[in-house]
Amino acid sequence: MNFRMRLMLIAVLQVVLTSLITYYFVTKEYRDLSSESLITLEKFLIDQKKQELKNYTSLAKSSVDHLYLDSLPENTVVKNLVARVFDGLLYNGEDGYFFVYDGKGTNIVHPKEPFRIGNNYWDLENESGEKIIQILLSNAKNGGDYFRYPWLKPSLKEPSDKLGYSIYLEKWDWMIGTGVYLDDVYTQLSQLQSEMDRHTSKTKQIILIVAISSIFMIFLFGLIVNLNQKKKTDLKINELGQRIITLQEDERRHFSRELHDGIVQILISIKYSLEATARYIEKANMDKPEQLTKAENNLSTAIQEIRRISHHLHPRILDELGLSAALEALANEFTERSAVIVKIVKPAARKLLPDNINTSLYRVVQEALTNIEKHAKATQVAITFEFQNNWLTLSISDNGCGFDQEKQEAKPLHGIGLRNLAERIEYHSGRFTVVSNPSGTSIEVMIPKSSFVNHFNQTSFEAQK
Amino acid sequence: MTIDANQKITVLLVDDHPMVQDGLTACLSYYDDIEIVDVCTNGKDALDKALSLRPDVILMDVSMPTMNGIDATEIITDKIPGTKILIFSMHESSEFVTSSIQAGAAGYISKDTTSEEVYFAIKAIAEGKTHFSSSVARALIDNPIRPENEKLTTREQVILTWIAKGLSSKEVARKLNISYRTVEAHRRNIRTKLNIESFAELVRYAVNHGLVDS
Repeated sequence: MNFRMRLMLIAVLQVVLTSLITYYFVTKEYRDLSSESLITLEKFLIDQKKQELKNYTSLAKSSVDHLYLDSLPENTVVKNLVARVFDGLLYNGEDGYFFVYDGKGTNIVHPKEPFRIGNNYWDLENESGEKIIQILLSNAKNGGDYFRYPWLKPSLKEPSDKLGYSIYLEKWDWMIGTGVYLDDVYTQLSQLQSEMDRHTSKTKQIILIVAISSIFMIFLFGLIVNLNQKKKTDLKINELGQRIITLQEDERRHFSRELHDGIVQILISIKYSLEATARYIEKANMDKPEQLTKAENNLSTAIQEIRRISHHLHPRILDELGLSAALEALANEFTERSAVIVKIVKPAARKLLPDNINTSLYRVVQEALTNIEKHAKATQVAITFEFQNNWLTLSISDNGCGFDQEKQEAKPLHGIGLRNLAERIEYHSGRFTVVSNPSGTSIEVMIPKSSFVNHFNQTSFEAQK
Repeated sequence: MTIDANQKITVLLVDDHPMVQDGLTACLSYYDDIEIVDVCTNGKDALDKALSLRPDVILMDVSMPTMNGIDATEIITDKIPGTKILIFSMHESSEFVTSSIQAGAAGYISKDTTSEEVYFAIKAIAEGKTHFSSSVARALIDNPIRPENEKLTTREQVILTWIAKGLSSKEVARKLNISYRTVEAHRRNIRTKLNIESFAELVRYAVNHGLVDS
């Protein structure tokens, strides 16, 4: 993993971590807040209910006070009258009513469940084993208090949590009670709860979206930086590659020169010395030794061989006579070798180009001709080398069978490959195009005049004066 | 020119390699009618020596530092018309031969030959004939010089550049230290080779080929 990748990973980790922490705290905060406010709300609502109950009860009591206070404890008529008053006192639609029990738990008034009247409920228990009527009675005797227990809700016709409140009429040993059902409080609370949950999940979503988009941005940014870097690196690599090629060509030129103008000249001088020796022997009227002839022959072979190597490394004609002459020589060699006819159009002017462009163009033609010889099955080749409109144009066209350009680019069949040559030409600010179809291949190279203008003056003028 | 039997043919040897100079001098010393009057190692010196010694034949190598033998040949024949120059080179491709002929050389022999051939070639050149090595002659037959194929010589190209820059023939003659008539002859050659009539076209040619800035 490289440095940039590591940096990106750290950034992503940071985003993930930050998001997780934010997520954790936000949800925790929400949860705490919601449970807290729910408790407060519940307490408030129930307090409200309690107050309501108390009010209703005191209202109910005061409505019978005039009968109760002035009556005797055993006055059944007044008791029945009061019972009927309670029976008729209703509030909150169906669900608000008053019930009356005597001190022994016998029901006296129950407007919604009249079957209970006259029955004893001393031992009535709720699910947790609390004796409902006894608790209500003791609450009443203690001056009035609240008790929560399940009871049938008239409007629902099924049991629901009920908050009961009871007071005591001491003279008659009566407990008067009423209650409100708490299910609507719970409904309100659960509505609030779900509202808060919705808020929480919305916040979670936002955090998630922010985190994902941050990570995406990091990757995008990384990608852009990477691409940019890669582009720069590619450019540098390309430049380096071209510099290596230039150096290599310089080296080859140097070696070629050393061989041709150095070693070969020495061998030539040896050849003349051998000849002089032969002549000397001849003058002394002796037979020319066989070894001398052999040495002369071997020397000739050596000279030919070194010249061949020198030419292969770098054609000297390119430096001495320029590209036109070198191309012509190349074409002649090619025709001799392959019997393919080459037509050349070239300028009368010469030595117009710097060494490196000369060599690059020469290599393009060399590669093109090698391709033609090996694959194209062509019978004719046209090389055009022209200078026009601020561009040098060199094109090599054949009438062969063409090749698959994509295949060729993916895996050069031989030699330096067209791709490398294209890069080389681009290095000279030039253009390189290849068009290949079943009726032939055409390679065109263009170099802008700015790459070679005044080269001839700079190299050939001084010596001419 | 006829050669007196007693008069030796004077030869100026131009080759940058001392060993070749020595070897060839040794070989040619067996021939009584040839004398190597001097040796020099580049085209520039060759011009000075040619001017001072006026040799019958100049035996000229091609690949030399500062100025190659072909350009030197052109300058020497420009300045001393009638100088007989025999190119003596390792290069055997026809382009070298045709360039040498265009530059004014009278013959071309391969260095990879016998001293006997060198001797005969020098004699032939001195007598006003031409001589080409067999290997070189083959190249010439295979690729004969066609007028449409003729290239500008280095000198002609230099003159073309001066002209395109606006110099008159007289000014060019002064710059190159040659006669006005020589410059005019070069101009005619340039026009023929380029198949160009007008001055404007000449300038355009020079601009197109990067000889002068546009």
